[in-house]
Amino acid sequence: MKSRVKSPLRVATIAIGVGLALFIVLLLLLIMSHPTLEGMLNSLQSPEIHFAIYLSLLTSFISTGLCILIGVPSAYALARYDFPGKHVVNTILDMPLALPPLVAGVGLLLFFGTTPVGEALAMAGLVFVFTPLGIIVAQFFVNVPFMLRIMRSTFEGISPRYEYVAKTLGCNDTQALWRVTLPMAANGFLAGSVITWAKGIGEFGAALMLAGATRMSTETLPISLFLNMSCGKLDLAISAATILIFMSLLSLYIFERYGGFARL
Amino acid sequence: MLQIQNISKDMGEFFLDHASLEISKGEYIVIIGPTGAGKTILLETVAGIYEPDGGSIHLDGNDITYAPPKDRNITMVYQDYMLFPHLTIRKNIAFGLRSKKIQVGEINKAVEKYAGMLHIAHLLHRYPDTLSGGEQQRAAIARAMVMNPWALLLDEPLSALDAKTRENLRRELKSLHDITKTTIIHITHNFEEVFDLADRVAIMNEGKIIQVGTPDEIFRKPKNHFVAEFVGATNIFKGTSTAENGIVHISIDNFIVRAHSEVEGNVYISVRPEEILISTEPLASPIRNAFPGKICDIRHCGAMIRLIVDVGVTLVVALTRQGFEEAKLGIGDSVYIAFKATSVHVFPGKSTKE
Repeated sequence: MKSRVKSPLRVATIAIGVGLALFIVLLLLLIMSHPTLEGMLNSLQSPEIHFAIYLSLLTSFISTGLCILIGVPSAYALARYDFPGKHVVNTILDMPLALPPLVAGVGLLLFFGTTPVGEALAMAGLVFVFTPLGIIVAQFFVNVPFMLRIMRSTFEGISPRYEYVAKTLGCNDTQALWRVTLPMAANGFLAGSVITWAKGIGEFGAALMLAGATRMSTETLPISLFLNMSCGKLDLAISAATILIFMSLLSLYIFERYGGFARL
Repeated sequence: MLQIQNISKDMGEFFLDHASLEISKGEYIVIIGPTGAGKTILLETVAGIYEPDGGSIHLDGNDITYAPPKDRNITMVYQDYMLFPHLTIRKNIAFGLRSKKIQVGEINKAVEKYAGMLHIAHLLHRYPDTLSGGEQQRAAIARAMVMNPWALLLDEPLSALDAKTRENLRRELKSLHDITKTTIIHITHNFEEVFDLADRVAIMNEGKIIQVGTPDEIFRKPKNHFVAEFVGATNIFKGTSTAENGIVHISIDNFIVRAHSEVEGNVYISVRPEEILISTEPLASPIRNAFPGKICDIRHCGAMIRLIVDVGVTLVVALTRQGFEEAKLGIGDSVYIAFKATSVHVFPGKSTKE
């Protein structure tokens, strides 16, 4: 290509973008290169980190399942049907996105700690305050809007005429959804699940409020990072951080690779 | 007999307003009308996608107004195919039969029969996005026909295809109808499809069926100003064509038009109004079709002016406002009109069944 006319705007904007990317890489490298390799390997073998990995995976998988269970049907309704108050419902369902997770956590704490519903659940053996169950609920509440938005845009991207054709070919509503729309939404579904899962793994604020930060009890990877950082156990803290970095890279890769037209 | 009686449906931008239409078994009905006339909603309501706000639909005497689509035995094909992208062509065509829980052997036989009829038997293992538009539309038609429906609804089935493919598929729709005798309701914007395929034509506007009749009736005896304007702006004539050295001579009453074509026999011709030249002097250049005539009406249609010129038959000639003002033409003026042989579009007429 021949040399172009120098455009100050072009140079400046590119410089800003590349600068930001370099800064991100720098931070990640800094975290991962901070401890000695030996310290890192030792921490990775500690029961505490093992517990944190286990609890993080368990809670994030369950909360992602819940997000799918609740988010996918809601997204379908919002993409396909008209009903009174749809606009308001749409806006409210996006609320948790803008809400600081700490605030969401306070709300959940009040709901499960002080209302008759919360007390009844506790009586029935479902204790959410300061337990791993609380982590799951916190992850669910903060992340369900991501699942919802991705699935809503996915369903909106699929012409309802596919379902119309399926119905003339012998399907009822549910069969048309099951045999046509859901398979066509597979990429969006995968992308939504991965993002929701990744967000769940990283969830801190709401989980801290509802489930607390108790070592070896409600200690997920982010909580572990926080606890160990607070008391100066840098190797353990950085190990947790490094694992989190790898998990986010993995989920980002899957999202970009299979996400299709699904967008937040 | 499919009886659509006073169907109304309000979907905001598109609506039906007391639309009525009766269709006999085995008939080929073409529905034409401007964009937004409600043609697609009419088909979708007949298919059972929407419940109408008012009116009724009866099929062979049974009230199917509120029957779910799957119980109607009416299938549908859209302009943009709507093949299920996650299924092979075979599974797409088999989709409806699988809903009916028919034995696999029977399904395969039926799929292969219709794939063969539509010349896509060699594509059954492929996925829709690897097929051309024409092939995809054939598959969509096979998917609808394999259900052996009472009626097949076609929503602009040929509009997304290139000219050559469109013509081939049009011919095949015709033979498919001749072979299977399936009732077909076909929406189009294309007048050739009307003349080539339709037993009867229905004209729609603003959610109503304005006029129903044979293509000839609609074009000869438009019921009102709207129909006349809608079908009349296209200069369509019926005639008899004889070929000679790559040129056909088409006699329309006692008036002969020359065109580049190979179609002989009963034909329709159309000449676009903007491709006709008009002048107060005889046109000197050796244009094949030149006729003297008289201006009998002048209509102002936005940026264009339409002159109705009587040359033995009446032709519509379109001029830009500027061209019209420069030519200083008025009603009653003697004029000469001319158009090239290549401007004449010749297409075969459906053999009249009278």
